[in-house]
Amino acid sequence: MEVMGLRTYIITRILLTIPTLLLLLTMVFLIMRVLPGDPVALHFEKKAEPQQMEQMRHALGLDKPLWAQYVDYIGGLVDIEYFLAHGYPNLGKSMQTFEEVGGQIFSAFPATLELAIYSMIIASVIGILLGVAASKSYNSIPDHLIRGVGTVAYAIPIFFLGIIFQLIFGVYLHWLPTGLRISPFINPPATITGLYTIDSLLEGNGFKFFESLKALALPSLTLGIVLTGIFIRLTRMNMLETLRLDFITAARARGLKESTVTYGYALRNAFLPILTMMGLQFAMLLGGAILTETTFSWPGLGRYIVQRINFRDYTAIQGAVVMFGLFVTLVSLVVDILYSYLDPRIRL
Amino acid sequence: MPERMETIIVVLVLIGIIVSSGTMYYTATVLSNISTVSSDVSALTDSVGDLTSTVGDLATITATLAQSVNTSVAEIAALKARLAAIEASLAVRETLIVGTTDSVELTLDPAQAYDYFGWNILQQISGTLVSVKPGSATGSDFLPDLAQSWNYSADLKTWDFTLRQGIKFPDGTTFGATHVKYSFDRAIGLIPQIPEGAPAGLGYDLIFNRTEVLSTYKVRFHLNMAFSPLLGILSARSSAIVDPTYAPVGVQVNHTIGNARSSTPVAFVGAYVLSSWDRVAGRDVEIKLDANPNYWDLASGYPKLKHIIFKFYPDAATLRLAIEAGDVDMAFRHISPTDVLDLEPNPNLRTWWGSGAFIQYLCFQEKRAPFNDKRVRVAVAAALNRTLVTETVFLGLAEPLYSIIPPAMLGHTEAFTKLGDANYTYTISLLTAAGYSAVNPLKFDLWYESSGHYPSSADQAVLYEEALEDPALGGIIDVTLKNADWASYKKNRDNEIMDAFVYGWYPDYVDPDDYSFLYWAKWLHINYYNSTYNPDYARYQQQVALYDQARATTNTTLRTLLYAQIDDIAVEQCSVVPLYVSSAWAVTKPSVYGIFLDITQDMRYWLISK
Amino acid sequence: MTQAKIKRRIFPNFALGLASLTKKGPSGWMIILGLIIVLALVIMTAIGPWSTPYDPIKSNVGPIRDPPSLKFPMGTNHLGQDMLSRTLVGGSIMLQVSALSVLVCFFIGVPLGLFSSYVGGFLDSTLSLVIDAIYAFPGMVIAIAIASVLGPGVINMALSIAVVYIPSYFRIVRSQVLSIKELTYTEAARAAGAKWHTIILRYVFPNVIPSIVVVVTINFADAVLTAAGLTFIGLGVSKDIPDWGWDLTDGWRYLSARAWWIISFPGLMIILLALGFTLIGEGLSELLNPKLQR
Repeated sequence: MEVMGLRTYIITRILLTIPTLLLLLTMVFLIMRVLPGDPVALHFEKKAEPQQMEQMRHALGLDKPLWAQYVDYIGGLVDIEYFLAHGYPNLGKSMQTFEEVGGQIFSAFPATLELAIYSMIIASVIGILLGVAASKSYNSIPDHLIRGVGTVAYAIPIFFLGIIFQLIFGVYLHWLPTGLRISPFINPPATITGLYTIDSLLEGNGFKFFESLKALALPSLTLGIVLTGIFIRLTRMNMLETLRLDFITAARARGLKESTVTYGYALRNAFLPILTMMGLQFAMLLGGAILTETTFSWPGLGRYIVQRINFRDYTAIQGAVVMFGLFVTLVSLVVDILYSYLDPRIRL
Repeated sequence: MPERMETIIVVLVLIGIIVSSGTMYYTATVLSNISTVSSDVSALTDSVGDLTSTVGDLATITATLAQSVNTSVAEIAALKARLAAIEASLAVRETLIVGTTDSVELTLDPAQAYDYFGWNILQQISGTLVSVKPGSATGSDFLPDLAQSWNYSADLKTWDFTLRQGIKFPDGTTFGATHVKYSFDRAIGLIPQIPEGAPAGLGYDLIFNRTEVLSTYKVRFHLNMAFSPLLGILSARSSAIVDPTYAPVGVQVNHTIGNARSSTPVAFVGAYVLSSWDRVAGRDVEIKLDANPNYWDLASGYPKLKHIIFKFYPDAATLRLAIEAGDVDMAFRHISPTDVLDLEPNPNLRTWWGSGAFIQYLCFQEKRAPFNDKRVRVAVAAALNRTLVTETVFLGLAEPLYSIIPPAMLGHTEAFTKLGDANYTYTISLLTAAGYSAVNPLKFDLWYESSGHYPSSADQAVLYEEALEDPALGGIIDVTLKNADWASYKKNRDNEIMDAFVYGWYPDYVDPDDYSFLYWAKWLHINYYNSTYNPDYARYQQQVALYDQARATTNTTLRTLLYAQIDDIAVEQCSVVPLYVSSAWAVTKPSVYGIFLDITQDMRYWLISK
Repeated sequence: MTQAKIKRRIFPNFALGLASLTKKGPSGWMIILGLIIVLALVIMTAIGPWSTPYDPIKSNVGPIRDPPSLKFPMGTNHLGQDMLSRTLVGGSIMLQVSALSVLVCFFIGVPLGLFSSYVGGFLDSTLSLVIDAIYAFPGMVIAIAIASVLGPGVINMALSIAVVYIPSYFRIVRSQVLSIKELTYTEAARAAGAKWHTIILRYVFPNVIPSIVVVVTINFADAVLTAAGLTFIGLGVSKDIPDWGWDLTDGWRYLSARAWWIISFPGLMIILLALGFTLIGEGLSELLNPKLQR
């Protein structure tokens, strides 16, 4: 069978993401309008005259027919001028605060990104190392122990673990803060990337770096530990398969050190699916940190979405979901392309 | 292919290096700080050594005059440093750090702001014609503020205000009647554009006909109707006076990053000026208020503290931890009932209590069975156990409410005590008369709101159900709990699908006028005011007539009587049943005092001192 | 492959199967442990209503927020309800919701995956696209949106969780079918004139089952956790039904009051339940993975 050229594969995959995203957008657009309750009524805390409601409905653009709203929205998304002027696409104005949704999302996103990065680092480093260790001592006590830890870690509800951590480290021991990205008495570092840890380093401020790391500790530990389970299992399974292959026996026979065999040969070959999983989990983290962000009052995109659902803020939710979908699709795309580059069999 | 593997590992290692180098940098910074401190310490011990040797050289002082002069210079420098340190600590003593979970909802424009916190900030930095006396027991003790005196026509449709003279804006302009007219014209003019704002919600366009400048310091309001609660409206934040320089007509003034003055249109005639307002993604990060040198009432000695800094916390638990750790001087809104009771015995903190104005009440849908029958409504109202809820859910920090007008307010009665609490025998007799029994129980849905819009809704609902299904009732009532999030709840209310539901209210202005109408509020959609469904429609009309009468007089005795009569009809009809009124509280460090938690719910920071 | 052989290999006789599990090494023991845990919790919840010392939703049976004591071994919560009673019966909603959602997922996702991948062509590509789009949707958001539309209740919660997991079933089934489709013995069957439904049921499906079984157990575990998550955000069932999810949510609010016993015991139960399912799933996946048979 002929193997597709790499370039063709990449182009095909990129082209396929566009209809996926469009579908995503249409789905969220429709789902929003099916939700009971509407943003107009929610602007009026108390009484509202019908005339005032009509004015608000007009201001929110909800008096136009459905297809017109849809077309307006799509039109906004592909508005290149706006994108160049603002640095983010035109996702409309929030139906609750009338601020640019794009701006809101891009100020909330770095918090989620930072959380995702640190959680991923914790989960993958610990998970991979433990998974390798488990596979090396197959069927012995350490193996069972590690598998046990991994299984339990995965079975813990994220917010439960978060609460326990808050209780122990925040309330009883007073070691770590239980919410907020940095103490309210410290000015956050100047925004370059939006990631407090990177920005404080760029600013040369070691104190702020340490403080933001302290605030990140509990939430990323929570997410990281729960995800470790996945990585332990995956690494162990793949390492077990790889370690049985002939070339490993050959390498050992050649007299190579065991650590070289494990990490240099076996892990390298087993790494591909792990990499895929890392990519997928990262994308999921960006979209699924809702529970962790709620528990730690972390001002990220997850919490933003939950709050906006309460307000039936159609544009904000649409914008956030589209952004999420974009990241997930992008990350899977990158992972797939990487994978296909490294393993031509996939391109079939 | 293997190189890719390495690249990835290298990237991971790089990240690890960045992290560890960051930590090392920090450690280095800390170490260098430590060394700076230790060199300071050694410098101090040196100077101490110098002092003792100077004292020992008393005999040679005259001989070493030049030396003494040098040392005096050094001493003066040391004294200056001590003075600076004292000043710094004084600045701390003159600053109040307030922690809160609130946040300005959108703007600090009186034509738009309708939220508690926005109004609270506006109150510190702006002025209104009249204000309520701090600690007022009825909420109706109005004091002259920017206005010095006032009178009104017999028909209560024309009100004249004489303004205080000599009040200056920070740019030197003198405050006068033109500013009052400008402010009200602007607010009313913006109503079509800002339908969700306070002037629209309070009905400025319905109340005010026009504002007339009589002279430099005299202004006249022409009203469309006889309106005795006008002073209440004028003391509200939507009536704050704006500065034409910063308050363009027909334009809502929004938050501007980095420019506090341009972020609000009000004239800075209050005790404080807004010196900075930091906000990110729709949520406040920090607000700073500085004492206003142009405050018209400086003679009173207020404001006591020169600086107020607001720090914002994401939830009640974090705020509680902050005040416990001493990070803030004062925590106000919101500490949970559990936490505040936990903190009360703490000797490092002081807790302040006061009356609340937030109430919750039970509504019945009269469009269809079972609550189209008055007997059933009264029966259920009599079976309610308010104390169970206020003691269990609110730990005593809420009071059972027996009139829709809360205590500490003009017109409050104890009317609903006539029905009693958990008055099961009465309930059984009424329900039996209406045809219900243990084999044919009264079944209905009790709705509550589940997205946190009201405090502890779910817990309340569980306990209401428990009281209504108490074994003593013999199973004659069968309640099904239903819930919806706020948006759906409102929709359900408008669509009239909820049999019975719990609702809440907090006042716009402190006057029984803003509470009493709740018994028949159209936006509750309970059809009590609908002649098609309500056989006792005439009683509703009587209530409305009494209400209008009370609005048209300033005679407090007469008004009290009228509101009491409205309450009596309400007990008979049970269209809306008051449940409880919340208290208010604040937690501070023991050094803080001057906090008034009165019925207005206003926190006047200029009265606070440390 | 005859019918009988398939049955013997892939559908072991249940009792024999269980006994033989003990001989299969650690994976076998994992499955047994998982089964014991799940069964124990199910039985505990089933007899719950008759075993509770107090009425789990009656308020003020004890002092409010009382730490564990002899009278209330697991303490009381903020409404004075007995935590032991609540823990004994609180699993009911969670078990119902997860079982229901797994059923829905299975009976929609698997047939859809089988059908779509076997038929192939344009239908397959379009369906995959739609499923991918759903997959790209942040899971919690779908669940929240659907739960908001449908309102609270066991069935609605199950439906909203199911929608999130159907794509997983679809994708796994599809990838398995795609590989089996090209195998020679399937081609042989087709050449011999077997109808498409025969091929799917007798050849494709039995080989797909091992991976599905694993997904089912993982789905159960995830459904339990997602149900708890939904309650945490406020979209759970009515509060007059005792539920572990509610206790977790309440416990969070009383963190700063140091009332650790409100979340700990229900939380432990949820962990055990999810753990049980995960153990079964992990054990099965190891057992059925041919690459490890050495």
